[in-house]
Amino acid sequence: MSARSQTDDADLVRRAKAGDREAFGVLVGRYMKAAYSVALAVIGRHEDAEDAAQESFLVALQHIEECRNPERFGAWLLTTVRNRAKNLLRRESIRASDPIPLDARSSGPLPDRDAESEEVLQSLKQALSGLPQVQREVVLLHDLQGWKHREIAERLGLPEGTVRSHLHFARKALRTALAGPHSEDRAGDQGRRQ
Amino acid sequence: MSNEPNRLLEVLDPGHTDPGYWSRFHGRVMSVVSAELARRRLLEQELTVSQVVQAWWRVLVPAAALAAALAGGLLFEGRAAMETAPLGIEELLVAGLEGEPIPAVLISEEAPDEATMFAVIER
Repeated sequence: MSARSQTDDADLVRRAKAGDREAFGVLVGRYMKAAYSVALAVIGRHEDAEDAAQESFLVALQHIEECRNPERFGAWLLTTVRNRAKNLLRRESIRASDPIPLDARSSGPLPDRDAESEEVLQSLKQALSGLPQVQREVVLLHDLQGWKHREIAERLGLPEGTVRSHLHFARKALRTALAGPHSEDRAGDQGRRQ
Repeated sequence: MSNEPNRLLEVLDPGHTDPGYWSRFHGRVMSVVSAELARRRLLEQELTVSQVVQAWWRVLVPAAALAAALAGGLLFEGRAAMETAPLGIEELLVAGLEGEPIPAVLISEEAPDEATMFAVIER
């Protein structure tokens, strides 16, 4: 997200305030994956993350006048997503002492997910569930959505050095957590591909 | 793990195994927000208070200026008429009265005799 796209965000927000469907559609397209990633980092379940991300766009539009810096719409939206996801967790009466159930199996598996992917997914969720929430957000936005350190820093309101640090520790923890029985299979798979 | 988007984390992306996922997600969001967008478009079309005031301002100011100019003109015209045709106190006292408010004998240059005067007064 460059300075240009931030300027675009401000213009799109201004048009969305007036009910411009196309402008808001561009904003949704631009941030839907990041919104899902942040919601997933908080909630840990695909279905709930999906609901939280979708609802957040409606809430954001309803309260778009409260976005004081339209050029920072992305950061404001992700805060909305995070709050929405936390509210969803509270509504479901999940005890605060419980670990974030990233390792919980989804009630409805994603379509076409084969057994191996499902196994990797569960291992990954389990590993992610052991990370602090902010590290989950950073690693998902960076490694899943391909955002740069600077973009994550701007959107999450963190210093860039802190983002790098979170990413480093998150990857290290994931590497350690995943270095179980699956790591050999994956190494074998990678070797076979090469 | 490299600096590239991690391939392992791709399994967390619903679009990884379902290419149409994000398109449907976008469609669902746009469907959910359509009523709010319509409400905002409607509000945008309605006139704001300031717009109404501005519209009135454009009509009222010239109309008020024209009325003031006309009133001023009429005022000066009336004064000029008063200056050219001054009324005597007698004319003002009898203005609008019908008949002969001041008997002719009183207006006459010649002084009336006593009998005539009594007759006028008794009348």
